[in-house]
Amino acid sequence: MTLVTLVWAVGAASALTFTVLYGLVWLSDRRKLENLLFCFAVVGFVGLAGVELGMMHAASPAEYERWAYWYQLPLAIGITAQVLFVRQYLGSGRDWLLWTVILTRVAVLLANFLMEPSFNFEHISSIAHVTFLGEQVTVIDSAVVRSWQWLPLLNCILFVAYIADAALTLWHRGAREARQRALVAGIGFVVPLALAVALSQSAVLGIARLPILGAPSFLITTMVMAVELSRQLRLGRRGREEAVELRSELARVGRITALGQLAAALAHELNQPLGAILRNAEAAEVLLEQSVPNITELKAIMADIRRDDSRAGAVIDKMRAMIKRSSAETRSVPVQELVRDTLALAHAEALERQVILNCSFATSLPPVAADRVQISQVLLNLIINGMDAMASCPPPGRRLMIEAHAADAATVLVTVADSGPGIRSETVKRMFDPFFTTKPDGMGMGLPVSRSIVEAHGGRLWAEPNEGGRGLSMRFTLPRAATGLA
Amino acid sequence: MTRAAPAVHVVDDDADFRTALARMLCASGFEVLSYSSGGDFLARGTHGCGCVVADLRMPQIDGLALQQACTRAGLTMPFVFLTGDADVPSAVSALKHGAVDFLDKRAPREALLGAIRAALERDLQARSMRSRQEQLHRRFAALSEREHEVLAQVVQGRMNKQIAADLAIHERTVKLHRTSITGKLGVRSVAELTTLVRESQLPG
Repeated sequence: MTLVTLVWAVGAASALTFTVLYGLVWLSDRRKLENLLFCFAVVGFVGLAGVELGMMHAASPAEYERWAYWYQLPLAIGITAQVLFVRQYLGSGRDWLLWTVILTRVAVLLANFLMEPSFNFEHISSIAHVTFLGEQVTVIDSAVVRSWQWLPLLNCILFVAYIADAALTLWHRGAREARQRALVAGIGFVVPLALAVALSQSAVLGIARLPILGAPSFLITTMVMAVELSRQLRLGRRGREEAVELRSELARVGRITALGQLAAALAHELNQPLGAILRNAEAAEVLLEQSVPNITELKAIMADIRRDDSRAGAVIDKMRAMIKRSSAETRSVPVQELVRDTLALAHAEALERQVILNCSFATSLPPVAADRVQISQVLLNLIINGMDAMASCPPPGRRLMIEAHAADAATVLVTVADSGPGIRSETVKRMFDPFFTTKPDGMGMGLPVSRSIVEAHGGRLWAEPNEGGRGLSMRFTLPRAATGLA
Repeated sequence: MTRAAPAVHVVDDDADFRTALARMLCASGFEVLSYSSGGDFLARGTHGCGCVVADLRMPQIDGLALQQACTRAGLTMPFVFLTGDADVPSAVSALKHGAVDFLDKRAPREALLGAIRAALERDLQARSMRSRQEQLHRRFAALSEREHEVLAQVVQGRMNKQIAADLAIHERTVKLHRTSITGKLGVRSVAELTTLVRESQLPG
């Protein structure tokens, strides 16, 4: 085996490997057309390399003519794929120029199939042998070139013009990433193409005694394409990660804002009656200090205090009702399903925080009567709390266990146990108080809301330290679904 | 200039709180007038004197808007604001427009009464200053045109002879004018006269 054969064959083989890779990428996401186009560009290159090897080893002018005839097919595939790739990759450029490039190339190909012996040559009269890269290769000695030879040349010039125009347009848009792309296309496509045109035209026109060399520059271009595609793959993954992060951040901000608004509305609604009660009580005190207290006025004050108290109570009842209202959706829900669905929601966050989530269920676990969304909220809240509690632990020890079993004939007990440092007893006492929080950005609403949801279901929610070890267990009960409940 | 006794004008859309506050202030010895809205106050309360205790958050005309409307109408009663949920920008705005204080609706009674007393005190001072100015203006208004001319020269420290030459009148006439001026203004010396003139030129 000689150097030329080796280089051409190894180049083709490695390009084919990339084709398999990016072909798979395209299959996984069909919208990413650039991957498919890359595959076609490689097919073009491999074909070109094969035909050129054939030419270089041609034994007669007739054989050379036959190879020259087939040369146009991989060339057309390769150039069309490249120009469409540039279109997809840069997202700019003039459409009419694009179509002119493609149509002239197709025209050359069709004309080639109608012409004997090939588009480029009317007749190859003799061949010669020269030493190229240390190997004896066949080159054209004398041939009659067809007068139509300007058409493929024009096609290449149009291709260069298209890329230059598209790259310049993108460059002027100014974004850093876009400029980098423009530069890659400008250099990675135009320079090899110009090289290929210069080399092959000088061979065809008999200016230099060289084999027809299109494959090396095609190889360079396909490598540039492969590198850019891999960069896009990396960028794409980072973009997805950022999107996930943004979504969870948005959700968190949304929760806080909603709770903040609720708290502000609550504060205003409660401040009126509480303020009135305070002022009335003060007025009563002043009246009582007088030598002859005005009993009628005092009675009116007491009545008003009572009324304002029930008014403040009504605000709280209204809030409770708001939380309870949506629990009308009580159905028979399999606990396993509920837990697994919620774990799926928490999965991304668990991965990010390096928490291992486990669940275990008793073998005969009856379904519970619950509002799926609300209990899922409670579970999610307990899971996130558990993860927060373990933030200070080293990652291998961050384990969150969700367990469920029937507590008695009528209830099911669900436990969310973390492996965190646990909490102090005074925190246990206060953790269900509204607005009590140990987190820097917490609202202190998660547990009180969770408890009211569980209680609205007829269950209980409480915390206890893990048996014989570190961490905290949050437990809640839910009533077993009555048989016949749909 | 009204002769009404200074009162605490309570403006709050919440009837319960308004009644309770009015009751407490009455019991504490204040004259209290209540209004259910800013509009109500602007319709019938602006001729009074004393101070305004207003809820910051009210429908239609809120506390700050009411304060600004009063300023535009030339009403100088000091404001004390009450609020359920104080925010810094409103507090700054209120204090910039001359509010005496900015208190929570459930502020301690002493803080509230202290703010109201301070507001009433400020109103009293402002009113006594205004009434002295008005009195002075009335006194100066009694002077004739020629007496004003003479007075202007006297307070500049010029001698009778110079004044007489300037105004082309006899020196004795100048003396007569001066006697008349001091009589009308009720002062005894040139020093006192100068003080009075300066005081009357203060912004009223």
